[in-house]
Amino acid sequence: MRNSFNFLPNEKSREATKLLPWVMAIMVYLSALAATGSLLLHSGFEDWASSLQGRITVQITGEDRDQITAQSLEIQKALRETPGIRSVRILSDEEISALLEPWLGAGNITDDLPVPVMIDVETSEDMYVNLEALESKIKQLSDSVYLDDHAKWLTHFYDLAYSIEFTAIGILCMILIASVGIVIFGTKSSMSEHKGTIAIMHLMGAHDQMIAKAYQKRFMIYGLKGGVIGLLLAFITVFGFLNLVQDLSGGLVETPTLPVLKMSMLLIFPLLFAGLTMLTARITVMRELGRMV
Amino acid sequence: MVEFRNVSMSYDNGFDILKDISFKLEPGSMHFLTGPSGAGKTSLLKLMYLAKRPSRGEIMMFGRDVVKSQREELPKLRRRIGVVFQDFRLLDHMSAVENVALPLRIAGGTGAHINEHVEELLSWVGLADKMSSFPSTLSGGEKQRVAIARAVIRRPDILLADEPTGNVDPEMAERLMYLFVELNKLGTTVVIATHDSGLVEKIGAPRLHLVDGKLLHLEGSKKSRDMHGGSE
Repeated sequence: MRNSFNFLPNEKSREATKLLPWVMAIMVYLSALAATGSLLLHSGFEDWASSLQGRITVQITGEDRDQITAQSLEIQKALRETPGIRSVRILSDEEISALLEPWLGAGNITDDLPVPVMIDVETSEDMYVNLEALESKIKQLSDSVYLDDHAKWLTHFYDLAYSIEFTAIGILCMILIASVGIVIFGTKSSMSEHKGTIAIMHLMGAHDQMIAKAYQKRFMIYGLKGGVIGLLLAFITVFGFLNLVQDLSGGLVETPTLPVLKMSMLLIFPLLFAGLTMLTARITVMRELGRMV
Repeated sequence: MVEFRNVSMSYDNGFDILKDISFKLEPGSMHFLTGPSGAGKTSLLKLMYLAKRPSRGEIMMFGRDVVKSQREELPKLRRRIGVVFQDFRLLDHMSAVENVALPLRIAGGTGAHINEHVEELLSWVGLADKMSSFPSTLSGGEKQRVAIARAVIRRPDILLADEPTGNVDPEMAERLMYLFVELNKLGTTVVIATHDSGLVEKIGAPRLHLVDGKLLHLEGSKKSRDMHGGSE
């Protein structure tokens, strides 16, 4: 095994690369935010989508409250008799008011407001429900009944979710590529600054690996330092935003919850960036030295 | 030990700094490399300490054709060569002790043994009180002595020195030349590039004389040939 020792000037001295840990901190910060955003959205999308899957909402509108209430009971009965439907429940006035409150404001839902009757239907996972047949069946009971299985909305919802996730992955990839570029630039700059030292090491019989080891160790520390700082800042930012959302949401949107296990994967970011900087520095040094005699 | 066969060296602009050089240095010989400024002395040394490759010709060192050698093979050969550079080339961020210890550490040495050896040599060249000093605080002569100590610390098979006494007083110059002669007696092949004709006369070792990139002659007194075993 070839020996190694640090022949480079210490980090406190004037060196172009001393800003590198801060640059890496920014890169890790942006990466962690992109990844956290993606994880939060993914988690939120999953929660929202799963709450809608296997559910049908039946809405009966009309100005005559007694009439639509009577129709809703008939429709409820018809639905319960339909194979593949697990449960049928007419939403109470309080529940409907709670749904409308974020949009109309508390206390603004008066008795003269033509609020529809809503029926929440849960379908069975084991059996297929023919929605067209079901709709035509309940249309016979009321002309002003609407059936919504959320399929169209969910399709758009998934399209949006995937677009955001792919964008986040794209941003992550771009940050990684930019980081590699910065490390290559930093390594070459450092080698240029210490070319006299490297030449002496070479002439005294130092192997390329010995020189590369000194650089890869130094750059790994840069990456690790930057990674830890960047991740800490990212966590502070994320928790800050979540607190703000919690304070402001007021029921309009559901507060996203942090998937703790998935979020803990972000802890590997400093290690990932340390490894990336180390490997990039090594390859760069070896390639540059390979051009020398 | 060292053999140049029709070696030429050109710079990127096509200028031939060395032209068709051929010579052979026997193991344990001592030679001066002389010639006017710009004659190619430093370039010839660069080829010998494997910092450059020639444009043409063959260079045999330690029984190997170094021109055809792979890069990976060169570090091992370089460890057998000690070099005193004209501009010293000390590492500014290392103390005198650390600079001198560098070849030993590169070769894998560690621990107190290195420091003991290095301190002994630095004392010998008159720098006992400058062990921990950094090059920026040393005079030209002191730097030169550190550079010489660094070149000889591993007792190399070949010692190449480019104007090694240019910055020291006559007394220290004589002391350093004595060091080179002693190393030569121990079997180290020594090549010293110098303008100091007095030194050349005094030591009387054979000369490799360069003029305008050409090796004009190898010369030396019979006395020196007997003393140093030089080839011609």
